Order: sequence, then C-alpha cells, then structure tokens
Amino acid sequence: MRALEPWVEAPLSEFLAESAARLALLMTSAGQVVAQHGFTRALDVMSAAALGAGIMASTFELAKVMGTRPMGSVVHQGSAVGVYLASFDTPRGRWLGLVVFGRETSLGLVQLFFATLASDLARAAPAEEPPRQVLAENFEAELNNSLRALFGR
Amino acid sequence: MPLVNFTTREITCKLVYYGPGRCGKTTNLLYVHGRVPEDRRGNMVSLATQSDRTLFFDFLPLELGVISGFTTRFQLYTVPGQVYYNATRRLVLQGADGVVFVADSQARRFDDNLESFQNLQENLLEQGVDIRQLPLVLQYNKQDLPADLILAPPDLDDAFNFRGVPSHSADALHGAGVFETLKTLSGLVLARLATRPPAP
Repeated sequence: MRALEPWVEAPLSEFLAESAARLALLMTSAGQVVAQHGFTRALDVMSAAALGAGIMASTFELAKVMGTRPMGSVVHQGSAVGVYLASFDTPRGRWLGLVVFGRETSLGLVQLFFATLASDLARAAPAEEPPRQVLAENFEAELNNSLRALFGR
Repeated sequence: MPLVNFTTREITCKLVYYGPGRCGKTTNLLYVHGRVPEDRRGNMVSLATQSDRTLFFDFLPLELGVISGFTTRFQLYTVPGQVYYNATRRLVLQGADGVVFVADSQARRFDDNLESFQNLQENLLEQGVDIRQLPLVLQYNKQDLPADLILAPPDLDDAFNFRGVPSHSADALHGAGVFETLKTLSGLVLARLATRPPAP
C-alpha cells in the first residue's frame, strides 16, 4: 500500500481487510492519487485515477442536467470483477474511492465498509499543516537534466 | 496546486492542453508518448469517438525524475476542442496546475482560436481561477504550413499574448516545439513550488 499521508493507511488497511477488495484507490476529485493498494506501477495508478475521476465528474454533471441530487456512487459490474466508485467529503476536500472487488466478496460488503472508511478518514484527518516551500530555488538545472534524459535531447 | 507527498517525497502536477478542435492537442501528447522511454511513461489513455476525435480527454502520465529530492510526475491531459463539449472541458480543467493553449496557426482558424481562448478564461474563472495567476504557455502549432495560409508568431502574439507569457512555434506532427512547450510549462509550474508553498 502507498499513501500520501500516514494517517490514511490504517483506515484503508482496515477497509481492505474487512471488505476483501482486491484493489483500492483514493484520489482527489481532480484525479490526483492520495493512496492506493494493489496497483504495481505508479503510472498505471495515475491512469486509473484519471479515468475514475472522469467517470465521477461526468456522473455529477449528468445529475445536474437531469435536475436530481448528485449521485454519490457508481457501480460497474463485470462477470469476474466489479468496480465501485464513490465520493466522500474529508477535511481535505472531496475525495473519491475506486474499489475493484471479485467474487470472494460482494457489492454490499464493499459499500458497507466503504462508508466506514469514509467516516474513519474524516475523523483521522489531522489539522492542516502550515504550507512550506517544496523545491529548492535552484531546481531548474535538475529539471533541465531530467527533461533532457526524458526526451533524449 | 501540485500534489506533494512529503512522506514519499513525490510531486504530481496536472498539465492541460487546451485549444480549438483539430489544433493539435492530441498530436502533442502522441509525440511525447512516442519519444519518452517506456519505463518513464504510462499508457496513453484516449477517450475518443470512432473517428478519433477526443470525446472526453487524452491522458498521458510521465515520470520526470527526481527534482530537489522529489520524484516528480506529470499528468498530461487534453480537452475535447469542439465547442459543444464545454461541459467535459470544464471537468478536465478542474485542478489544473498549468495550461498549454495550443493555437492553430492557420489564418482561417483565427476566430476558433479566439473563441477557445475566451472559453478557457471563462471556464477557469468559473472554478475561481484567474488565468493571470495560472502558469500558461501558448503554442502556435502548424507553423510548418505554407506561409500564405498561416499567421506568423508575432501576429499571433499580438492577438493572444497580451500577458506576455512564454510562447512557442510548433509543428507538433513532427515534434518541433513540443518538447520546448512542455519544458517551459514544467518550469513555470515547478517554479511555483520553489517560490510559494502548495495550497493545503
């Protein structure tokens, strides 16, 4: 499991153990990965987050067009695995969860324990840290070297 | 602002390519995808129509390397350019850390560029983002076309670059200007992390 901040790990671990989900991904509503379990490549998890955030964003817009309340979750049920996507509010803003589950569990269990996860995360979120400078002021040389290496020029 | 993970020392930035339909946004990403080593990029995700027009977005994750001790990743997105896809453009633009506005240099596309640029400003404003505060790079694409069909970069600067942001001539199909555009925007986005902290 990889988590953006340590306080996310315990609630997510508990969710995974209780729900028996195979993959789980927590992200911001803009598709930035906050925590994940089960994905092996950082770049693949970013693609999954982008697609998940896109689905939820379009679901919210669809609800607006239809004049209904926003739908908080979406389920895609395949023959072998299902995907549960849901949004929830945290003190750090609206987050989204993408959960992939198999026949060893059920949508009902995933939904049940996801609700617990959402409330656990809302409780566990610490007070926001004061902002701080991230990069050294002379980062440009490293950036240029990295881009040269990336593009081979 | 970019997502910063102080525990694992990672930075993730969302960069969006914006512009009118058929200006070359997807072509920019395809060129980058084709040039970057496989272990430094993910698969390019394209949500497109059957005729390969972008329906929702294209997405390409890149791993830049380590900058100031932080593993730095870029998420490159394109928006659908056609006027009637504004709802999806707004969604993709959400949370953008920087924008490349790709203008089609053909003189006959001038009004389309203008409309798209105004639409960018409107959509940002709707999200509470002042375009003057967001890292922005202009790319004048298709500069390889015959001179009588296109507007020269100084003319395009006069029309669109009233803020004096960086601009690049490009031929995205063959790669000219693609790298330079991405490099400039990367620098602008990361410079904000060096001069001001990320929003909590």
